[in-house]
Amino acid sequence: MEFKSVSDVKNKLEKADYITSKEIATVVFLAEATNKPILVEGPAGVGKTELGKAVARSLNRKMIRLQCYEGLDESKALYEWEYAKQLLYTQMVKEKISDVVTGSGSLSEAVDRIADQEDAFFSERFIQPRPLLQAIVSDDPVVLLIDEVDKSDPEFEAFLLEILSDFQISIPELGTKKAIKIPFVILTSNNYRDMSDALKRRCVHVYIDYPDREIEMRIVSLKTPGIQERLLENIVDAIRDIRKLDLKKKPCISETLDWAQSLMALQIEDLSFEVILATLNVICKYRSDSDKVRDYLEKNHTSGNAAWSISS
Amino acid sequence: MVNLILKFVSCCRASDIRISTSEVLDCLTQLQLIDILDEEQFKAVLRSNFAKSRREQSRLDRIYHLFFHEMRQDMGIAERDSLSEHIEDIFDMLQEKAGEDEQLGAILDFISGDPLAYLRELRRIQREFQDSTGNTRFNLGPLASRLQMLINLNTTRGAIAQFLDDNHTHITRENRHNLMAHFNEYLDSAYAMLMNEPRPYEDNLRQVRAYEKRLEKLGEKSFSLLTQKEIEEMREIIELLVRRLKDIMSRRFVSNDRGVLDVKKTLRRAAKYQGVPVEIMFRKRPPRKGKIVTLCDVSSSVWSAARFMLNILYSLQECFTKVKSFIFVSGLTEVSEIFDKYEINQAIAKVLSEADIEYNVPTDYGETFRDFRKSHMDILNKKTTLIIIGDARSNYFSAEDGILEEMREKSRRVIWLNPEPEQTWYTGDSEMYAYKQHCNEVRPCRNLNQLLAFVEELIL
Ligand SMILES: Nc1ncnc2c1ncn2[C@@H]1O[C@H](COP(=O)(O)OP(=O)(O)OP(=O)(O)O)[C@@H](O)[C@H]1O
Ligand SMILES: [Mg+2]
Repeated sequence: MEFKSVSDVKNKLEKADYITSKEIATVVFLAEATNKPILVEGPAGVGKTELGKAVARSLNRKMIRLQCYEGLDESKALYEWEYAKQLLYTQMVKEKISDVVTGSGSLSEAVDRIADQEDAFFSERFIQPRPLLQAIVSDDPVVLLIDEVDKSDPEFEAFLLEILSDFQISIPELGTKKAIKIPFVILTSNNYRDMSDALKRRCVHVYIDYPDREIEMRIVSLKTPGIQERLLENIVDAIRDIRKLDLKKKPCISETLDWAQSLMALQIEDLSFEVILATLNVICKYRSDSDKVRDYLEKNHTSGNAAWSISS
Repeated sequence: MVNLILKFVSCCRASDIRISTSEVLDCLTQLQLIDILDEEQFKAVLRSNFAKSRREQSRLDRIYHLFFHEMRQDMGIAERDSLSEHIEDIFDMLQEKAGEDEQLGAILDFISGDPLAYLRELRRIQREFQDSTGNTRFNLGPLASRLQMLINLNTTRGAIAQFLDDNHTHITRENRHNLMAHFNEYLDSAYAMLMNEPRPYEDNLRQVRAYEKRLEKLGEKSFSLLTQKEIEEMREIIELLVRRLKDIMSRRFVSNDRGVLDVKKTLRRAAKYQGVPVEIMFRKRPPRKGKIVTLCDVSSSVWSAARFMLNILYSLQECFTKVKSFIFVSGLTEVSEIFDKYEINQAIAKVLSEADIEYNVPTDYGETFRDFRKSHMDILNKKTTLIIIGDARSNYFSAEDGILEEMREKSRRVIWLNPEPEQTWYTGDSEMYAYKQHCNEVRPCRNLNQLLAFVEELIL
C-alpha cells in the first residue's frame, strides 16, 4: 500500500487515528514518494512518535522502533553476537574438536583446521539483530522510527548517516546485507542539540508545533467519543491558555486527552473554576506549575475574563 | 518554475540560509509530485527542503513572504497599461540617478520585484558587524552603511515623489496616487527588512524560568546579597547536595544497561566450572560523560553566582570527562587548575589575587569571544556543553554574537546563565537579546534554588 496524493495521506492518517495538517501530510507524502527520511522536530508531546506509528498503521506496515539515548552504540542498534550461545555451543561440541585435529602433523596445522570451522560460529545463528538490522533484512517494507535522535552521541549520528545513505551494512564475518525494501524512516528530535548538516541534508524536515485549536478539538473528539461540544471547546481553550503560562512543563496533547477522559469519567459537563482546581493534577505534573495555574485562575476568575473558566 | 526556484534559493543564500545543490534538486523533483497551485503544499516543499531546523524556519518564512507575496502583490497595478508606461519612466529616471551606486541599484532592483541584490547588501552590512576586529571596537563603520542605506531608501522615495510632482500635467491624480502607493509598499518592506532582522522562532530556545523552590529563605536570596555568614552556610548546603547527586549517579550506573562482553572475566569465572562458561560477564558501561567548558564573567555581581557554580562543577568532576573553566572581564584566563587543586575558599582567593586578569577595565564580551576564537576554539566539540555565566552587559562594545554562533556550531549545547532577573535582560547595554539567539538554553540564575535546579538537570 502506498499514498496516492497529499489528501490521500491526510485521509489515511486520519483513519489511523492521527489528525494532521496539510503541511505534515505533504511532507509524509513526499518522503514516501522519494524514499527520503523525515526529520521531525517539535516540543514534547505534540505527536512526533505517534506520527511514526500512524504512518505504519496507515501503510499497513510493521513499525520497528529504535529509541536513542546517550551511549547508544552499534551493538544495541544494529546487531550483537550472542556470546552466551556461542560459548554454550563450543562446550557442546568440545569433543568434536579432537576429531577435527586428529591426524594433523603440527600444531599450526591443527590450528588451521580449527580455524576452518570458524564459520560455524560466526553465522547468522549466533547473531542477535537489533532494530536497524531488522529493518534492513525485513522481507516486507517497514517503518523505521528512530526516536529522539538528538539524545544520541555524535559518533552514533555519523554511523546512522552511513546507514541512511545506502541502506546497507557489512558484517565483517558475514558479508554485506542490503535492504530488500527501503524502509520508511522517521527520525524525531526534541531539539536538545542541533543535528549535523550532513544528516539534515539527507532528510526532509518538518516541525510539529502545538496543534491549532481546530485540530486539537478534532483530536480530542476522536479519542474521547461522546464528548459534549461545549465541554470540548472549554477544555481546548483552557489548555491553550495554560500553555501560554510560563510553566516547567507545558501540558501537551496527551494531557489534554487525559483531562478530557477524566472529566468524562467524572461525568462533568461544565468546566467550572472548582472543577479545574480539583483536576489540575491531571494537567500539571509539577507542584510549582499547579500553583502558577491556580494563581492565574484566581486572578481571572474574580475579574471574570477567562472565558473558558466561567462560560458555564 | 526552475528559474523561479533558483532565484528564490539565491535569495535564501543571500540571507545566510545554507542550501546545498542536492537540496535544490530534491526540491525540484518533489515539486513535480504535488499540486503546486495549492500554496500550503508548495510552501511545505520549500520549507522542508530548505530550512532544516526550527532556527532557520523564521528566516526562510520571511524570504518566502517577501518573494512570493510582497514582491508579487501589485502585479495587477504594474500590468495595467495606463501605469506600466509610467512605471518604466520612473525606473529609467531612477536608473540614471543610481548610476554605479550599488546600494541605489539594489533598491531599484528591489522595487522592480527582484530582492536578491538588496538581500546581499543587507548581508554585507550584517557581515561588517561581525568581521570588524582590532581597533574599531565600537564599530561605527557598519552603522554608517546601515545609515547610508536608510538615506538611499529615502532618496529613492523622494525621487519618485518628485517625478510624480513634475509630471502632474500628464499623469492623472488617481494614477499618481496609485503609483506612489505601489512604490511605497516596496520601499516600506525594504525599510522593515533593514531595521528588523528576522529573529528565530523562540520556541526552539529553552527558556527555563520555573524552578522548584526547594529551600526557603537562603535558597531564594540573591547571590549578590549574601552575607559572609550566609556564604558559609551555603557551602554546607552545597556539599550535602553534591553528595546526594553523586549517590544518585552511582546508583544509576549500577542498574544501567550492561555493556559488551568481558572475555577475560568470563573465562576466569569459567575456570570454576571446569571451563564451562556458566556465568557470562559483561563490562560495566562507563558513566555517561561529557565535557564542560564554562566562561564566567567576574565583574562583581556575576562573580558571586559564578563562584558557586564553579564550586559545584568541580565537586562533581567525576561526573564529567573534563571540566574547563575560564574567567573574563575583557579577555580570557583559564582557571581550571586552580579550582581543581584548591578548596573553594582558597581557589577563589587565588583566582582573585593571582589569575592573570585585569579587573580595572570595562567588561567586553566581544573581546572575550574574539579571544576565545583565537586561542581556544579547538577545545569545543560535539561532546562539549558550553556554559556561559554572565549578565551580557558589554558596555556598548560590539557584541560579536557571530562568534557565539560559531561556538554553538562546534559544541553540543550552549547554555547561558544570567544572574540578572529577566526583566532587566534587554535593557541598557545588555546584549542578551542577540546572544540568546545562539543558545540552546537560557535561564536566570541568581539564587541557590535556581542553581540547584540547573545543576541537577545538567547531571541527571
Ligand atoms: N495529531 C494527533 N492525532 C491524534 N493523536 C495525537 C496526535 N498528536 C498527538 N496525539 C496523542 O498524543 C500523545 C502524545 O504523542 P507522542 O508521544 O507521539 O508525542 P511526542 O511528540 O513523541 O512526545 P515526546 O517528545 O515526549 O516523545 C499520543 O499518544 C497520541 O495519542
Ligand atoms: Mg516521542
